[in-house]
Amino acid sequence: MEFAALFLAVTVVLVAAWRGTRTVALVLFGATLAASVATYLHHATDVLKLSF
Amino acid sequence: MSRSFAVTLNALGLYAIAFVLAAAFAAQFLRHELPCPLCLLQRIQFALLAIGPILNIRHGPRPSHYAMSLLAALAGAAFATRQVLLHIMPGDPGFGSALFGYHYYTWALIGFCIASVAIAAVLLFDSQFKSDDTTQPKAGTFARVAVWLVIALTAANVLSTLVECGLGACPDNPVDYELLKRRL
Repeated sequence: MEFAALFLAVTVVLVAAWRGTRTVALVLFGATLAASVATYLHHATDVLKLSF
Repeated sequence: MSRSFAVTLNALGLYAIAFVLAAAFAAQFLRHELPCPLCLLQRIQFALLAIGPILNIRHGPRPSHYAMSLLAALAGAAFATRQVLLHIMPGDPGFGSALFGYHYYTWALIGFCIASVAIAAVLLFDSQFKSDDTTQPKAGTFARVAVWLVIALTAANVLSTLVECGLGACPDNPVDYELLKRRL
Protein backbone atom coordinates (compact mmCIF):
# COMPACT_ATOMS: atom_id res chain seq x y z
CA MET A 1 0.00 0.00 0.00
CA GLU A 2 2.81 2.41 0.88
CA PHE A 3 4.39 1.90 -2.55
CA ALA A 4 1.14 2.71 -4.37
CA ALA A 5 0.92 5.84 -2.20
CA LEU A 6 4.49 6.77 -3.14
CA PHE A 7 3.76 6.32 -6.86
CA LEU A 8 0.65 8.48 -6.40
CA ALA A 9 2.78 11.13 -4.67
CA VAL A 10 5.30 11.07 -7.54
CA THR A 11 2.44 11.43 -10.06
CA VAL A 12 1.18 14.48 -8.14
CA VAL A 13 4.74 15.91 -8.04
CA LEU A 14 5.15 15.53 -11.81
CA VAL A 15 1.73 17.06 -12.56
CA ALA A 16 2.52 19.92 -10.16
CA ALA A 17 5.87 20.47 -11.93
CA TRP A 18 4.10 20.69 -15.30
CA ARG A 19 0.95 22.59 -14.31
CA GLY A 20 1.77 24.31 -11.02
CA THR A 21 4.42 26.65 -9.65
CA ARG A 22 8.07 25.80 -9.08
CA THR A 23 7.74 26.30 -5.32
CA VAL A 24 4.89 23.82 -4.98
CA ALA A 25 6.75 21.28 -7.12
CA LEU A 26 9.91 21.73 -5.04
CA VAL A 27 8.11 21.27 -1.72
CA LEU A 28 6.20 18.21 -2.96
CA PHE A 29 9.39 16.75 -4.43
CA GLY A 30 11.22 17.16 -1.11
CA ALA A 31 8.40 15.51 0.81
CA THR A 32 8.17 12.59 -1.65
CA LEU A 33 11.93 12.02 -1.69
CA ALA A 34 12.00 12.05 2.12
CA ALA A 35 9.07 9.60 2.22
CA SER A 36 10.78 7.21 -0.21
CA VAL A 37 14.05 7.32 1.78
CA ALA A 38 12.08 6.71 5.00
CA THR A 39 10.35 3.72 3.36
CA TYR A 40 13.73 2.39 2.25
CA LEU A 41 15.19 2.75 5.76
CA HIS A 42 12.13 0.99 7.19
CA HIS A 43 12.62 -1.95 4.82
CA ALA A 44 16.41 -1.94 5.19
CA THR A 45 16.00 -2.92 8.84
CA ASP A 46 13.98 -6.01 7.83
CA VAL A 47 15.55 -9.34 6.98
CA LEU A 48 14.74 -9.66 3.29
CA LYS A 49 14.31 -13.30 2.29
CA LEU A 50 15.15 -12.73 -1.33
CA SER A 51 17.66 -15.52 -2.00
CA PHE A 52 16.23 -18.97 -2.59
CA MET B 1 24.36 25.23 -25.43
CA SER B 2 21.21 27.23 -26.23
CA ARG B 3 18.13 27.06 -24.02
CA SER B 4 16.10 25.42 -26.78
CA PHE B 5 18.75 22.73 -27.28
CA ALA B 6 18.82 22.11 -23.50
CA VAL B 7 15.02 21.72 -23.54
CA THR B 8 15.33 19.19 -26.38
CA LEU B 9 17.93 17.25 -24.40
CA ASN B 10 15.61 17.27 -21.38
CA ALA B 11 12.78 15.92 -23.54
CA LEU B 12 15.09 13.13 -24.69
CA GLY B 13 15.85 12.41 -21.04
CA LEU B 14 12.12 12.04 -20.39
CA TYR B 15 11.84 9.55 -23.26
CA ALA B 16 14.72 7.58 -21.69
CA ILE B 17 12.87 7.52 -18.35
CA ALA B 18 9.67 6.44 -20.15
CA PHE B 19 11.63 3.64 -21.84
CA VAL B 20 12.89 2.37 -18.46
CA LEU B 21 9.40 2.48 -16.92
CA ALA B 22 7.92 0.73 -19.97
CA ALA B 23 10.66 -1.93 -19.90
CA ALA B 24 9.87 -2.59 -16.23
CA PHE B 25 6.19 -3.04 -17.15
CA ALA B 26 7.18 -5.37 -20.00
CA ALA B 27 9.17 -7.55 -17.59
CA GLN B 28 6.28 -7.51 -15.13
CA PHE B 29 3.49 -8.40 -17.54
CA LEU B 30 5.22 -10.39 -20.29
CA ARG B 31 7.68 -12.37 -18.13
CA HIS B 32 5.57 -12.33 -14.94
CA GLU B 33 8.44 -10.74 -12.97
CA LEU B 34 6.60 -9.10 -10.11
CA PRO B 35 8.68 -6.27 -8.56
CA CYS B 36 9.81 -6.67 -4.95
CA PRO B 37 9.66 -3.72 -2.48
CA LEU B 38 13.24 -2.64 -3.28
CA CYS B 39 12.50 -2.95 -7.01
CA LEU B 40 9.44 -0.71 -6.56
CA LEU B 41 11.55 1.86 -4.71
CA GLN B 42 13.96 1.92 -7.64
CA ARG B 43 11.07 2.41 -10.07
CA ILE B 44 9.83 5.28 -7.90
CA GLN B 45 13.24 6.96 -8.11
CA PHE B 46 13.29 6.53 -11.90
CA ALA B 47 9.90 8.28 -12.08
CA LEU B 48 11.11 10.98 -9.66
CA LEU B 49 14.09 11.62 -11.97
CA ALA B 50 11.59 13.23 -14.36
CA ILE B 51 11.04 16.24 -12.07
CA GLY B 52 14.11 18.09 -13.38
CA PRO B 53 13.42 17.68 -17.12
CA ILE B 54 9.74 18.58 -16.65
CA LEU B 55 10.61 21.78 -14.73
CA ASN B 56 13.29 22.62 -17.32
CA ILE B 57 10.80 22.24 -20.17
CA ARG B 58 8.08 24.18 -18.34
CA HIS B 59 10.08 27.00 -16.69
CA GLY B 60 13.40 26.95 -18.54
CA PRO B 61 16.68 25.28 -17.51
CA ARG B 62 17.93 26.05 -13.98
CA PRO B 63 20.66 24.37 -11.92
CA SER B 64 18.14 23.69 -9.11
CA HIS B 65 16.01 21.60 -11.48
CA TYR B 66 18.99 19.43 -12.37
CA ALA B 67 19.87 19.18 -8.66
CA MET B 68 16.47 17.65 -7.89
CA SER B 69 16.97 14.94 -10.50
CA LEU B 70 20.49 14.35 -9.21
CA LEU B 71 19.14 13.79 -5.69
CA ALA B 72 16.61 11.27 -7.04
CA ALA B 73 19.38 9.51 -8.99
CA LEU B 74 21.61 9.28 -5.92
CA ALA B 75 18.77 7.86 -3.82
CA GLY B 76 17.96 5.35 -6.56
CA ALA B 77 21.61 4.32 -6.84
CA ALA B 78 21.71 3.74 -3.07
CA PHE B 79 18.58 1.55 -3.22
CA ALA B 80 19.92 -0.45 -6.17
CA THR B 81 23.32 -0.86 -4.49
CA ARG B 82 21.66 -2.37 -1.42
CA GLN B 83 19.90 -4.93 -3.59
CA VAL B 84 23.12 -5.75 -5.46
CA LEU B 85 24.90 -6.25 -2.12
CA LEU B 86 22.08 -8.50 -0.86
CA HIS B 87 22.98 -10.93 -3.65
CA ILE B 88 26.74 -10.40 -3.82
CA MET B 89 27.70 -13.70 -2.18
CA PRO B 90 29.09 -16.38 -4.53
CA GLY B 91 26.44 -18.94 -5.42
CA ASP B 92 23.54 -16.55 -4.78
CA PRO B 93 21.19 -16.83 -7.79
CA GLY B 94 19.94 -13.27 -7.29
CA PHE B 95 16.35 -12.04 -7.34
CA GLY B 96 14.38 -12.66 -10.52
CA SER B 97 15.80 -13.44 -13.92
CA ALA B 98 18.72 -11.80 -15.69
CA LEU B 99 18.62 -9.64 -18.80
CA PHE B 100 21.77 -9.70 -20.96
CA GLY B 101 23.65 -11.23 -18.03
CA TYR B 102 22.62 -8.73 -15.37
CA HIS B 103 19.66 -8.67 -12.99
CA TYR B 104 17.23 -5.77 -13.19
CA TYR B 105 18.59 -4.12 -10.02
CA THR B 106 22.10 -4.17 -11.51
CA TRP B 107 20.74 -2.50 -14.66
CA ALA B 108 18.98 -0.01 -12.38
CA LEU B 109 22.29 0.84 -10.66
CA ILE B 110 23.93 1.32 -14.06
CA GLY B 111 20.98 3.47 -15.15
CA PHE B 112 21.17 5.73 -12.09
CA CYS B 113 24.95 6.12 -12.54
CA ILE B 114 24.46 7.05 -16.22
CA ALA B 115 21.74 9.55 -15.22
CA SER B 116 24.05 11.16 -12.63
CA VAL B 117 26.89 11.51 -15.13
CA ALA B 118 24.53 12.85 -17.83
CA ILE B 119 23.11 15.48 -15.44
CA ALA B 120 26.62 16.55 -14.39
CA ALA B 121 27.67 16.76 -18.06
CA VAL B 122 24.68 18.94 -19.03
CA LEU B 123 25.32 21.18 -15.99
CA LEU B 124 28.75 22.02 -17.46
CA PHE B 125 27.09 24.23 -20.10
CA ASP B 126 26.46 27.55 -18.33
CA SER B 127 25.11 29.23 -21.45
CA GLN B 128 21.73 27.50 -21.02
CA PHE B 129 21.22 29.44 -17.74
CA LYS B 130 21.90 32.95 -19.13
CA SER B 131 19.46 35.29 -17.41
CA ASP B 132 19.51 37.90 -20.22
CA ASP B 133 17.80 35.36 -22.43
CA THR B 134 14.28 35.80 -21.08
CA THR B 135 12.56 34.18 -24.02
CA GLN B 136 11.48 30.82 -22.72
CA PRO B 137 11.07 28.45 -25.69
CA LYS B 138 7.53 27.12 -25.81
CA ALA B 139 7.37 23.38 -25.29
CA GLY B 140 6.67 21.69 -28.60
CA THR B 141 4.74 18.52 -29.26
CA PHE B 142 7.88 16.40 -28.89
CA ALA B 143 8.45 17.66 -25.34
CA ARG B 144 4.79 17.68 -24.31
CA VAL B 145 4.31 14.07 -25.42
CA ALA B 146 7.40 13.11 -23.39
CA VAL B 147 6.02 14.81 -20.27
CA TRP B 148 2.61 13.18 -20.46
CA LEU B 149 4.11 9.79 -21.36
CA VAL B 150 6.14 9.76 -18.12
CA ILE B 151 3.18 11.02 -16.07
CA ALA B 152 0.91 8.33 -17.60
CA LEU B 153 3.43 5.55 -16.93
CA THR B 154 3.86 6.74 -13.33
CA ALA B 155 0.08 6.83 -12.85
CA ALA B 156 -0.15 3.31 -14.32
CA ASN B 157 2.34 2.22 -11.65
CA VAL B 158 -0.07 3.43 -8.96
CA LEU B 159 -2.67 0.96 -10.22
CA SER B 160 -0.28 -1.95 -10.88
CA THR B 161 1.32 -1.58 -7.44
CA LEU B 162 -2.06 -1.40 -5.76
CA VAL B 163 -3.16 -4.60 -7.52
CA GLU B 164 0.17 -6.31 -6.78
CA CYS B 165 0.51 -5.41 -3.11
CA GLY B 166 -3.14 -4.99 -2.16
CA LEU B 167 -4.06 -2.83 0.80
CA GLY B 168 -1.50 -4.36 3.17
CA ALA B 169 2.29 -4.53 3.20
CA CYS B 170 3.92 -5.63 -0.04
CA PRO B 171 5.42 -9.16 0.22
CA ASP B 172 9.22 -9.46 0.02
CA ASN B 173 8.93 -11.99 -2.77
CA PRO B 174 5.64 -11.36 -4.57
CA VAL B 175 4.44 -14.21 -6.79
CA ASP B 176 0.81 -13.21 -7.31
CA TYR B 177 -1.29 -10.08 -7.47
CA GLU B 178 -2.68 -9.73 -3.93
CA LEU B 179 -5.80 -7.79 -4.92
CA LEU B 180 -6.74 -10.32 -7.62
CA LYS B 181 -6.09 -13.23 -5.24
CA ARG B 182 -8.55 -11.81 -2.72
CA ARG B 183 -11.23 -11.37 -5.38
CA LEU B 184 -10.95 -14.95 -6.64
